[in-house]
Amino acid sequence: MQSSFAVPRRRVWSSRGIAPRLLVLPAVVGLLAFAIYPFVYLLFLSASKSLLGKTFQEWVGFDNYRNALKDEVFTNALVRSVIFAIPISLIQIVLGLGIALLLYGSIRGGHLIRTLILLPLMTPPIMVATAWRLILNPTGGLLNTVLDGLGLIDKPISILGSSRWAFPAIGLADTWQWTPFVVLLAFAALLTQPEDIREAALVDGATSWTVFWTVTLPLILPGLAAILLIRMIMAFKVFDLVYVMTGGGPGFDTTIGTFEIYRVALQQFNVGYAAAQTILFGLLVGLVTLPFVLIRDWAVKNWS
Amino acid sequence: MNDVRFADAGTVSFDRRGTVAVEKRRRGVVGLVLRRLGLAIVLAFFVLPIVYLVSVSLTPQAEILSGTILPNNLAWHNWPAAYEATTVSLFVRNSAIVAGLSALVTLLIAVPATYSMVRFGVGGRPLYSFILSSYVAPPIVALLPLFYLLRRLHGIDSLWGLALVHAVANVPVAVWLLDSFFRQVPRDIEEAAWVDGAGVVGALVRMVVPLIAPGIVAAGIICLILSYNEFLFAVVLTYRPETQTLPVGISLFQGDRLVNYGQMAAASLTGMAPVYLVALFFQRWLIRGLTHGAVK
Repeated sequence: MQSSFAVPRRRVWSSRGIAPRLLVLPAVVGLLAFAIYPFVYLLFLSASKSLLGKTFQEWVGFDNYRNALKDEVFTNALVRSVIFAIPISLIQIVLGLGIALLLYGSIRGGHLIRTLILLPLMTPPIMVATAWRLILNPTGGLLNTVLDGLGLIDKPISILGSSRWAFPAIGLADTWQWTPFVVLLAFAALLTQPEDIREAALVDGATSWTVFWTVTLPLILPGLAAILLIRMIMAFKVFDLVYVMTGGGPGFDTTIGTFEIYRVALQQFNVGYAAAQTILFGLLVGLVTLPFVLIRDWAVKNWS
Repeated sequence: MNDVRFADAGTVSFDRRGTVAVEKRRRGVVGLVLRRLGLAIVLAFFVLPIVYLVSVSLTPQAEILSGTILPNNLAWHNWPAAYEATTVSLFVRNSAIVAGLSALVTLLIAVPATYSMVRFGVGGRPLYSFILSSYVAPPIVALLPLFYLLRRLHGIDSLWGLALVHAVANVPVAVWLLDSFFRQVPRDIEEAAWVDGAGVVGALVRMVVPLIAPGIVAAGIICLILSYNEFLFAVVLTYRPETQTLPVGISLFQGDRLVNYGQMAAASLTGMAPVYLVALFFQRWLIRGLTHGAVK
């Protein structure tokens, strides 16, 4: 990777005039509009008293930030984002790797399984949320019907209306959708390991379990670290599932960072305050993912 | 590393006969049965919600409420009823326009940009890293500023406005996916074209693009699906049925218009069908595109 950013190897590559620069121009303009401008705009917005329909009413300095940090609904939402993103990405890595290993040794039905396993990944998150809402629905949903049929419950239970279970239920829906992504990538990582080392170890009498821990895992660790990072970043972006499954409730029990910002900006129209929340949320995501970026870099450097 | 990855990713296959032969001997029948059982459970988990949606879409409301898993009387009428109760076909049309337009624009921006960065080193590592890392920020960060920007451009509540936002939002993904495909092309290809008198753009369009067409198609389809599935921008930047996409439309059903679960399921399945068709049809390319970019 490094080498390809060096100066082109021959003069013909550096004497192509201005054309290469023009080719990158639309992307740079897009970046300005989509990354630089929003960031600068948000900074100004966050220092102002602004409503959705009437922005920049007056400058208030750091008031919005101070209020946000004192606002328990917001700080709790931040905490919830973290306790969603980290465990959910770890669980999905373990599950996804397990399934990839199962598939790795299976000859029959591999293609069918691969096709079927792609479907959750392709499903629009809103439809994922709808499906799980129907499954968990207290009046005649699949879960209640099954539990009732088994005689495990006397009256219908409302998972999504429960303070304790609503949040794990959103995690379940997210795991349903994104574990296949991990399976695909983990499987591709498994394919890069040299098969002969594995087989030699197996022939020498090592158990598959030992071979996994001593041969396979170290080889695919850098890949796994990268997948973990991608999944964690994506888990911080979750919004749709909460929107449809719980609307942030019951109370604020499933209100994560993204949903709280949406609520303040587009339901309460307090965009100045929401801007400050957004900056703080962005900082948090950066801070929380940073150690995992370092872990990935360390894994890539030391294991591959 | 790059070359190895290219070869491997292209041949992702679930046939590992050698491995299985060795392991079969070692673990015998019990291991095999456990493995099959594990796979069956995994499959059931991933297919169940979709199968359940189909079942609900064919179940009369009264039967759902009384708690039945499979319908006793098939309620086919849920499907036409869902289309009558809402403007599903309009939502499908909007989604198709937004997704198609945005994927096209994403490619028009990302293909030349990636080419220029990978081949000519324009912008160096900083620009490349910056483009990729811009995808790390949660989209909610860009939501308010883009809302006001679009309003000034009269692009709010319009299909082209939403398509433009999706297009730019997906550029980092496309760059990330295309990168390794461009690196596969030998530099001699362009050098030969230049000697023959072609310009930079000419060589790119006539020589390089046809060579990496599979990669471009894979990137295009992934961007298409990302746009089709996107909800946050769509729900904030559009508000009339004439501009709302399917996810937004389906999210509205949760409220008042469709308390009928069968119709809700039918409408959801209608929204899922197009992506499933695309996924099944382009399966090989999709998997290749996804695994290509990620396992670096």
